[in-house]
Amino acid sequence: MKEEFKIALSQISCKRGDKTANIKKMENNVKKAKKRGADMVIFPELALTGYTVRDELYELAETIPGKSTETLEKLAKQTRMYIIFGMPELSEKTQATIYNSAVCVGPEGYVGKYRKMHLPTHSIFEEKRYFRPGYQVTTLETELGKIGLIICYDIYFPELCRLNRLKGSQLIVCISASPAIRRSFFETLTLARAIENTAFLAYVNLVGVEDGLQFWGGSRLVSPSGRLIAKGKYDEEDFLMGEVNYADIKPVEIFVPTIKDLRPELFDELKESARNL
Amino acid sequence: MKLTHSILELDWDEVEVKIERFIREYVKKSKTAGVVLGLSGGIDSSTLAAISARAIGGDKVWCLLLFEQETYNVQDVKHAKLVARKFKLKTATIDITPTINAFSKTIPIFDSKDRLCKGNIKARTRNTYLYYYANKLNLLVCGSSDKSETMIGYFTKWGDIAADIAPLMDLYKTQVRKLAQHIGVPKEIITKPATPSLWPNQSAEKEIGIKYGTLDLILYGLEHFMKSEEIAKHLKVKQTLVNNLKCRWLSMEHKRRMPLTAKIQYRTIGFDYRLPREFATLEEKEA
Repeated sequence: MKEEFKIALSQISCKRGDKTANIKKMENNVKKAKKRGADMVIFPELALTGYTVRDELYELAETIPGKSTETLEKLAKQTRMYIIFGMPELSEKTQATIYNSAVCVGPEGYVGKYRKMHLPTHSIFEEKRYFRPGYQVTTLETELGKIGLIICYDIYFPELCRLNRLKGSQLIVCISASPAIRRSFFETLTLARAIENTAFLAYVNLVGVEDGLQFWGGSRLVSPSGRLIAKGKYDEEDFLMGEVNYADIKPVEIFVPTIKDLRPELFDELKESARNL
Repeated sequence: MKLTHSILELDWDEVEVKIERFIREYVKKSKTAGVVLGLSGGIDSSTLAAISARAIGGDKVWCLLLFEQETYNVQDVKHAKLVARKFKLKTATIDITPTINAFSKTIPIFDSKDRLCKGNIKARTRNTYLYYYANKLNLLVCGSSDKSETMIGYFTKWGDIAADIAPLMDLYKTQVRKLAQHIGVPKEIITKPATPSLWPNQSAEKEIGIKYGTLDLILYGLEHFMKSEEIAKHLKVKQTLVNNLKCRWLSMEHKRRMPLTAKIQYRTIGFDYRLPREFATLEEKEA
């Protein structure tokens, strides 16, 4: 397992409904990342289709593995890189049950997927109308160590990152399609999730304007101490590189030992209180 | 939450950037040559013209000065021309009086004393001119409606509200004034009383029955799910005033939406036909 590696954060805008164009853009950025020595490249939530595609999701969704993931899988094998991106996933067992998923492909082929658990259906969001929530935390086993995947609104729920961390993830990847009105929340939460878990956190957000919604970008790689290793531009496409070195976790874990100081008995109470809200 | 004027303050640099990007991106995506708007010399249209020019350049912003005899106001014409000069806009001045007169002569039941019906013809006529320019010159019609007037339905259905985009619609009137100041709209336009110019000496505030400063705070409270009594208490106004505005806001939803239909089939426009506004077309995908 590599302890030290480079990550490329590919902050793109998407052509809505045009998977071919979006895959082409991803391919170009994967090649660019390879040239710059990255071992992993990350794209935003629903990067395959664009975020605001509404009823067209039923036509655009694909199974995982499926046609698009196979294309990206080949690319990952060729470039010997891990690629993480978002797409609408059609359940294999039904014809119109869709998940908002994050997929990881790598040098070894298809690695795994995560189905978004917290689907925002408030304000301008209508995800529960289209998507079924996921029911499982995903911690990927890779040559770059264990990697926890979360998607956008999931970051408001600290238990998900915590669980990923407890399962051994030292790197948490959050892919996102966050509109500008929520920027300050995400700027705080990305730091908080990294600090409270003493883990690296890579956040990659969409940019562009979709149906009047302006996605703010601002992708970042955060160190376990909350330092911004790399920070993307606001509101426009960007491509940034950042270095992860797992050895950096140890001094932080000693300095603020949040994992050591966990109180499991609180979790039982938490569960009970949440059930009886 | 405290309902004071400071609550309506925004980061005006950021607001400007967002609105300019919105206009720029929409023009680009729609593959149009620019925008066309009706420039009355009032605060909303002047601000819209100015910010459109900052977004895509004044040479891509067509401003129609659609005056008519009954509401002709020398000051407004002067202000419209001032904005046009300052932001290097393209203009066309059109006297719509003959068109309005043609309606009055040809509508069998036309009632010259009914100023609202006649006024609405003016707003819809202005819109027809705008859409002619849009069709002919491949432009987007840019509407200047603000949030205050849109919320209380103070506009003409299918008239001044009808547009392809309405970049200022998420800003209350007092916020439009702040933005206007920020982007350099001349002061005399910002401070003069608002009027929809549907009939002579029409005053928006008199008609609505409340100053925009108070109206905006009431609407802000409603937007943030505050109860009428809470809003009235905060602003030291009568609860009936807040209740009336709330009723007005809710009862005007029909003016803000596509026409209602009876749900009959599988997917229905306006109900459960939910499509993105712009989408990659087949041609684009194949190209």
